[in-house]
Amino acid sequence: SKKQTWMKKQTMEHYQSWIGKIISSDKDLVALVFYGTEESKNPRNSFKHVYVYHDLSEPGAKRVQEVDALRGEKGAKLAAETIGSGETSLGDALWCCANLYSDIKLRLSHKRLMIFTCRDEPHGGDSVKDRQARTKASDLKETGVVIDLMHLMKPGGFDISLFFCDIVSPPEDESELGLQLQPSDKLEDLLKRVRAKELKKRALARLNLCLGEGINVAVGIYATAVAARKPGSIKLYRETNEPVRSKTRTFHTQTGSLLLPSEIKKAQYYGGKEIVMERDEVDAIKKFDDPGLFLIGFKPMEKLKLHHHIRPAVFLYPEEDEVKGSSCLFSALLKKCSERNVFALCRFISRRNYPPRFVALLPQNEELDEGKVQITPPGFNVIYLPFADDFRTLDPPQFPSASQTQVDKMKEIVSKLRFKYRSEGFENPVIQQHFRNLEALALDMMAPEEIEDLIMPKVDQIDQRLGPLVQEFKDLVYPAYYNPESKPAAKRKTGQSGAEKKPKVELTEDELKAHVQNNTLVKLTVPVLKDACKQFGVRTTGTKKQELIDALIARLRS
Amino acid sequence: MFSYLSLKAQTCESWLTVVLCMDVGLTMSNSAPGEESSFELAKKVIQKFVQRQVFSETKIELALVLFGTDSTDNPLSQDGQYQNIRVHRHLRIPDCELLIEIENQVQPESKEGDWLDALVVCMDLLHTETKGKKYDCLNIALLTDLNTQTNEESLEVIINNLTQSGITMQFFLPFPVEEDKEGQGDSERRDPGHPGTGKGLSREQKKNMELVKEMMLSLDVEDGLDEIHTFRNAIEELCMFKRVERRPVAWPCQLTIGSSLSIRIVGYKAVTDEKPKKMWITVDAQSHQKDDVKRETVYCLDDDNETEVQKDDIIQGFRYGSDIVPFSKVDQEQMKYKHDGKCFAVLGFTKQSAVIHRHQFMGSQILKIFAARDDEHAGVALSALIRALNELQMVAIVRYAYNRTSNPQVGAAFPCIKQDSECLMYVQLPFMEDLRHFTFPSLENKKFTPSDAQLSAVDSLIDSMMLVEEDENGEQRDLFKPHRIPNPAFQRHFQCLHHRAVSPGTPLPPIEPWLKAALDRPEVITERCQDPLDVLKRKFPLTEVEKKKKLKTSVGSVDPARDFRALIKQKILPFGEVCQQLTHRIEQLLSNKNTQYYMKSITCIQAFREQSLANAEHYNSYLQSLKGSIPNRGLEVFWELLVQGMICLFT
Repeated sequence: SKKQTWMKKQTMEHYQSWIGKIISSDKDLVALVFYGTEESKNPRNSFKHVYVYHDLSEPGAKRVQEVDALRGEKGAKLAAETIGSGETSLGDALWCCANLYSDIKLRLSHKRLMIFTCRDEPHGGDSVKDRQARTKASDLKETGVVIDLMHLMKPGGFDISLFFCDIVSPPEDESELGLQLQPSDKLEDLLKRVRAKELKKRALARLNLCLGEGINVAVGIYATAVAARKPGSIKLYRETNEPVRSKTRTFHTQTGSLLLPSEIKKAQYYGGKEIVMERDEVDAIKKFDDPGLFLIGFKPMEKLKLHHHIRPAVFLYPEEDEVKGSSCLFSALLKKCSERNVFALCRFISRRNYPPRFVALLPQNEELDEGKVQITPPGFNVIYLPFADDFRTLDPPQFPSASQTQVDKMKEIVSKLRFKYRSEGFENPVIQQHFRNLEALALDMMAPEEIEDLIMPKVDQIDQRLGPLVQEFKDLVYPAYYNPESKPAAKRKTGQSGAEKKPKVELTEDELKAHVQNNTLVKLTVPVLKDACKQFGVRTTGTKKQELIDALIARLRS
Repeated sequence: MFSYLSLKAQTCESWLTVVLCMDVGLTMSNSAPGEESSFELAKKVIQKFVQRQVFSETKIELALVLFGTDSTDNPLSQDGQYQNIRVHRHLRIPDCELLIEIENQVQPESKEGDWLDALVVCMDLLHTETKGKKYDCLNIALLTDLNTQTNEESLEVIINNLTQSGITMQFFLPFPVEEDKEGQGDSERRDPGHPGTGKGLSREQKKNMELVKEMMLSLDVEDGLDEIHTFRNAIEELCMFKRVERRPVAWPCQLTIGSSLSIRIVGYKAVTDEKPKKMWITVDAQSHQKDDVKRETVYCLDDDNETEVQKDDIIQGFRYGSDIVPFSKVDQEQMKYKHDGKCFAVLGFTKQSAVIHRHQFMGSQILKIFAARDDEHAGVALSALIRALNELQMVAIVRYAYNRTSNPQVGAAFPCIKQDSECLMYVQLPFMEDLRHFTFPSLENKKFTPSDAQLSAVDSLIDSMMLVEEDENGEQRDLFKPHRIPNPAFQRHFQCLHHRAVSPGTPLPPIEPWLKAALDRPEVITERCQDPLDVLKRKFPLTEVEKKKKLKTSVGSVDPARDFRALIKQKILPFGEVCQQLTHRIEQLLSNKNTQYYMKSITCIQAFREQSLANAEHYNSYLQSLKGSIPNRGLEVFWELLVQGMICLFT
């Protein structure tokens, strides 16, 4: 029965990561193989107790439904009926997988085998079976298959050294973190681990960071935050739902003949003239230099302004394979920049025929969590800096500042609504809805699964937490007649101002004294304050709000 | 002129009107050996100025009046008065034509012209040509060396007239108005060496200078002498094409906290990745007409006949694993995520520093959020929020939606307090889907750990390359400010457009030296870091890893023509076999019915022909069979392109 629960979990997990897979990369081939089963099902049926639930192919809607069927109570029953549980031979399972790989006629760029288990001694100490499994594993690894272990914590601890250390692929590099060496005690963590591994780490570009004449550090540029979009649509023929191909042609309007690239030029219209360039001139104009990073100098970190932002950052990591010694110099640079709290200012040309941008290289030290799993990798974050053209000239409206009492009240509000922000905390409702819709259509569901809009303010909760604070704040800043919800009054037309002016608010001496006592004079508008000054014969030299208030307070307190 | 335009262009409700009045007379051509003459400098000022106006498409009308000309052509010339003054161009929007005229027709001439007379002609021109139209910004820019005899009696009348008609004046001279004034606050600037100043001013120049000063001080302007510029400084400032300017658009909304607290706000884009205003259009190479070129996209089924499908018969589908799920636009619209539109709602507040990562800023802009204009109460309420956040070092996490049709975002609103204004700065933050958690090998590795000597080499490099330093007065000086540099892409773009407009048929010019210099390491730093760099180079051995160059053994698919040539050259494989490999690739390429693949096949065939000169047997037989198969395979389009592309090669 223990095996049964494990099975259930395993399937569920697989199912979930599978859904993720369909969404992230639909071109991958995936197979699902159970081992230690009662029933056997595999090509040529040469292995007992190995059940190929899904052959190696692109996952589709049907498969998702089939795995879905194995979930829950009902699923467990179904699993028990169809596959059952029996003797374990990991060697046979691996062999079977090897066959699955070799049966594929396509050339696979990357082959990975993930073993999900909670048993560190799958053969219960049967050394023959252990040896068989080791041999098969090394065969597989020789053909380029990477074997990962996705193991759950078991009572007494999962001991990799007992058996699995010989099965799994060694880390790519001796410096690579042993990500899979620590068992996980939570299913979610494991899932995260599966997901994290799914993402292909691919450099946008490999180029040189030039510190000076002949000092080139090879670096790779990685995009670590990219706005996710709905995946592109495919055009289909309405009658048959088969994909159509598009053909784009450029031709001469009059003769109808196709135009070769050399028969086309590019133009822009300025000052009454069409200015014409060759196509390669248009590219040449954008070329300033070859791609690369060129160090200009260093600046203290506080010189990087928060609002100097024009596009998401990228990440820089050394490429030892391109220039030997890069990692060492890069590491020294990183260490010193971080220690001295400075950033490196560079000129950056990201690819051929791209004009330069200036960037700030911000040092980022490696961080690990308690489980020794890397949270932030070591390297430089590359912040794009704006040019003069990227700033817009604004004419900021001028207002009096709030008084300390008002600010303090707002501080109470802010503190009540304090939460710990996590960058993974918000899903994009637009994309989530789209995927749910697709899923519903693909799996013939009645309606798409509901999404939770995480970026919607939880208004009731907020109101409840704030309680009377909102009204107290409003009393401090807004006069009774003021309604911020109302549409702003239509702009007054010049010349008719008299009729439309706000009714004059006359204050009695008591009201004014109350304002002084409660520190609420700031709530009043400048004209009202001026009138009050006149009314009480207060002479002021200044016309600024604070000066009027100060004068009134001085008079009424005396 | 630089400051004038950038200041006035925004306050000018109607069109800005400028008369450029340039002295082309005899003395303007004088120059010390190795120096540019006043004429050349003044012409550059005019050229750069007009250039800026043409390419920034400002609302401006321009006239050009020349004096000191051999001929006379102006409405006031009569009875020997107002001689040697020529109205070259009447008030009009500046265009490329004017640029060409300045380039070719504004040349040094040999007479003397009275600058005060020329000024009267300009005033008359402004008066008659702006009559009945609404103009609030009238300006005359006078460029001269002041080396002429002048009839000073008219000065008072002219000043009165200028004041009455609200015309402002600017002077551009070869020398500064006062020696000491020019140097002020410009200590950083290299000595420009104004021509003429070395030898001292002539008697006329001194006398005229007094007149200029008198005029500028009696006009109703704050500091009249500030509008007297030198040619060199003007060129320096005009060098840059005007930065791309866009009028900020207000976005009125309400900042909400919960259901019952709202503050009326207005948002503006403050920083954004500015793109060029105009796109390149495709024109026919011969006629230069865009109407002669048409691009068309057709859809066809993936069958042998490539059956064409009408646009109306196409629906959208999306991949769901190996399946493609048809999803009509109507259904998409109906099922998609919908929201209530415009909003700026606080989700909560969080600590600024530790949580919000700079490198996780998303989007391409920063919004500045102010209280609604003319709403003092909103001003106070927002100020309370800004100050509270600032004191607590916190930010608001908000939901932001520009309008009903745009996708909502999550972002952070930072408090920003400046001397004269307070605002919130909004920046978009990532969604969970946007983040890619890559892991990289640790650099804490024995192989890569730098030694103490290496670390100290890096230390001294940083010391020598600090761009921010304190001067003797303890004030910070920043040697390199990217945000002050105009986008070089735009500068280069307009430089090339200008060149092509003025000198068609000549190759594009190199990047201007000032621009190259602006993008480079400051000279001081270059000098200072030389030694530390040398040390660094010694301490850190860097060796480029030799990529094992695999000898080509077959014609690949990436660049078959190149591989083919390489293999022929290697002479390892028999010629026939290499040809067979190439034709195999060509056939593969032709199975994709797409112009790009056609073009690639054509380059292959060209390479094939070029390598077959000694032995044409394979080439001829392949081409024969290819030609024969064209109708069956529906490759007529390809064949047409091939014939066009190779027409000169066929014998």
